[in-house]
Amino acid sequence: MEQKISGIQNNYSEKIKQAGSLRELDEIFLALFGKAGELNLLPKEFGKLPEEARKKVGPLFNKVKQELEKGIEQRRNAVREQSYKKLEEEKFSLTPERWEAKKRQGHLHPVTQLEKEIVNLFGKLGFKQFEAPHIDSEEYNFELLNIPQGHPARDLWDTLYIDTHNIKATPGELLLRTHTSNAQIRIMKEFKPPIRMMIIDRCFRYENVDARHEHTLDQFEIVYIDKGISMANLQFLSEYFFKGILGEDIKARLRPKYYPFVEPGAGVDAECIFCKGKGCKICGEAGWMELAGAGMIHPQVLKNGGIDPNEYSGIAWGAGPERMAMLKYGVENIRSFKSGDLKFLEKF
Amino acid sequence: MKVSIGWLKELVDLKVSVEELVKLLPLRTIGAKEVTDQYIELDMKGYNRADLLSLRRVAKEIAVITNSEVKFTQKTPDFSKLYSISVEVENIQLCPVYCVAKIENLKIGQSDKTWKQKLNDSGIRTVNNVADITNLVMVEYGQPMHAFDAGKVTGNIGVRVAKKDEKITTLDGKVRNLTPEDLLITDDNGPIGIAGVMGGKDSGISEGTTSILLEAAIFDPVSIRKTSQKHGLYSEASKRFQHELAKTNLLEALAAAIKMYEDLGGKLTALTLVGDTKDKTKVITLSQEKVNSLIGVNITPQHLEDSLTKLGFTLASHIGSGNVIWEVTVPYWRQDCNIEEDLIEEVARMYGYEKIPAKPLTDNIPNMAEKPLFRYIQTLKQASSETGLTEVQTYSYYSTAVLENLLLDKDKLIKLVNPISAESEYLRDNLWPNLLEAVAKNIRNGIKDVAIFEIGKAYLIKDGLPDEPHRLAIALSNGSNNPIAELYQICQTFHLGGGLDRTPGEFFHPARSAILEKDGEEVGFIAEIHPRIVNKFGIEQRVAVLEIEITTLL
Repeated sequence: MEQKISGIQNNYSEKIKQAGSLRELDEIFLALFGKAGELNLLPKEFGKLPEEARKKVGPLFNKVKQELEKGIEQRRNAVREQSYKKLEEEKFSLTPERWEAKKRQGHLHPVTQLEKEIVNLFGKLGFKQFEAPHIDSEEYNFELLNIPQGHPARDLWDTLYIDTHNIKATPGELLLRTHTSNAQIRIMKEFKPPIRMMIIDRCFRYENVDARHEHTLDQFEIVYIDKGISMANLQFLSEYFFKGILGEDIKARLRPKYYPFVEPGAGVDAECIFCKGKGCKICGEAGWMELAGAGMIHPQVLKNGGIDPNEYSGIAWGAGPERMAMLKYGVENIRSFKSGDLKFLEKF
Repeated sequence: MKVSIGWLKELVDLKVSVEELVKLLPLRTIGAKEVTDQYIELDMKGYNRADLLSLRRVAKEIAVITNSEVKFTQKTPDFSKLYSISVEVENIQLCPVYCVAKIENLKIGQSDKTWKQKLNDSGIRTVNNVADITNLVMVEYGQPMHAFDAGKVTGNIGVRVAKKDEKITTLDGKVRNLTPEDLLITDDNGPIGIAGVMGGKDSGISEGTTSILLEAAIFDPVSIRKTSQKHGLYSEASKRFQHELAKTNLLEALAAAIKMYEDLGGKLTALTLVGDTKDKTKVITLSQEKVNSLIGVNITPQHLEDSLTKLGFTLASHIGSGNVIWEVTVPYWRQDCNIEEDLIEEVARMYGYEKIPAKPLTDNIPNMAEKPLFRYIQTLKQASSETGLTEVQTYSYYSTAVLENLLLDKDKLIKLVNPISAESEYLRDNLWPNLLEAVAKNIRNGIKDVAIFEIGKAYLIKDGLPDEPHRLAIALSNGSNNPIAELYQICQTFHLGGGLDRTPGEFFHPARSAILEKDGEEVGFIAEIHPRIVNKFGIEQRVAVLEIEITTLL
């Protein structure tokens, strides 16, 4: 048996050395490790050996197996490196050749498609787009929004912080924004009321990923500031959103909810799009699904943005486009959106 | 907060079924996280109403929203004529109230069935009768308590911050290294507990305990929060201490606990109260005009007064030019109410948010400029998909596969302090590596022709500060040995030209790599990725990419 093993080793080591292409190496690999490969079949014969012999053969077999595997890998890399050298001889020209570009069917990402609808919908009400940094300060993401350090409300956002070893900033000062609300104060400082602005962009959370949770997700948020704005307008905007995006017959319902940067605060439910309010498995028999968070902008936040809360009131309203896209397009796993998987993306 | 249904019914004469209550609670007060036959768990994450961490206050709230009556009465106890224990509080800011009662003649045993059931419903483990009382009172009143074994405490009690390098073994048997940020309870020999977070093992009650020192205190919420975060100690007590607790409530809870120990045969022999035990009275001015304009509904003064009165607020009104103004006194347990808008929320939820009618926006549409970037990105996405490219969205991070296969210099990347995993520790400074990863994944998945694009941000360090430009990246692998020829045609859709003078760098094909220009300005590059790198992702096909800084195209 020992002879047989070294026979295989010698034979194949030589073949590997001679191999000049990846295909030859693939063939050698199969001949050794494939289903009917020599090294794959060999251990079946060990059972017949006396125990003493088995004790010797086992380690030898493993050693040879590893060496051959490594040998193939090294030869593969060598063959590759040789081919890489030839790259320098390859032609390159940016003058259009007689090349027919392939006809492919392109696709916009489903979240992009939904966001386009949202932007157009609110554009009709005069809302304009705005953006704020993804890497932002504690100040804009939390403190100016009435969420001081050490406040229990901080538990609402599991935050990712930026390491400042190679950045000019105090440790703990910079973070990945947890919500698009970091735009609120910037909007108030840049524009004078009346204000109708919207943000639709990426946010980040310290969240373990599963079929329903993502650590990287988009948010849509509107900031609406004017004289005499009320919760009745908030109800209108909620209905406007659900009707426009989920369907003409989808109702909106407000509930009390606490967010430190609004007062009064509201959770916004949409009537379940599957059972239309009757109660089903998907909505947990409630007939409603919580799809947005909103409220009347807290007077302290208005003040922080340089707006007099005695003169103006405002609405902040936010929702997650991915969650909305899951409902609308019947996507079961939120991870599909960032999978880059064409089999998924080409459905849209 | 797990609200035991059995215990709740002991405190309130519920006029509606539990099913109806579960439907009404989220509409008037707070959402439920979970409902079982034993309990309703209120969704308290991040919530500001500390009173809802007390079953009595939950009962009161439920009574109001269901038109039921509570079965308990409140009275402020009188603790005058008693011997005192020596207590020294170092900093009254960190510990505004500290009470300690000595109770003797106790015998440790099992709690009875009712107590066990109540604690079980509330999600709290039973220990023994003496410890269980502290938890029962905490749940019912929202005021955490701690029982030290009086026989194991020597001399005076102190409340002070930890000294450097001080240590304590907590009840769970772990040695905790303390810093001057941690607030401690001490005796003459050193620390006997971390204030508000966990007691010390050595001073804890055990089988042989016959007398206890019962602590009821109020600590600085921020200090407790920091300490419990630092030591990873989250308890039912620390959860409550993170909020501002009411002093009146503390006295009621203490009296209730003492009564329960006395019922077990215990004897109160000494008691000390340090600090001002009176709650500050808060008065907020509320205007009818403001209420109606912020809610958008005309609410009658009668309805408003009824709602707030039922919730425990007291109102004094005066009328000025058709507008009623109230001076509203906030009940001591509503520490969350500080401004007029807080009261307006109370009025709105009692009225019913769901009854507020929709009111369209006015025609007062502001004339605000929008950055052309947003429209441009939309156009670019549309144009890209029309040339046959499929849009992908990848993470803002580099995976470990990208970091390793490209041998990236991590020191040039923006890093997170607390990444969820190694797969999301470094922010991407280019989009194309993530597109390459997506191309490889699809090819391994059996798709041989891959043409994808992404529009998103890259995260760079520029002059020592974070910079996040918008980028367009395209990756193409069409099975040919020169995908750049087709990619270049695609990119001409965007009216870009190319120059040949580019040092390709280690990631790219030694010959096939060029700068892209628009109107003579550099906007990005086009290149074939070096097969050495492509091969590392487990594919043999050639891959070409381009990456463009979007703002330079505007």
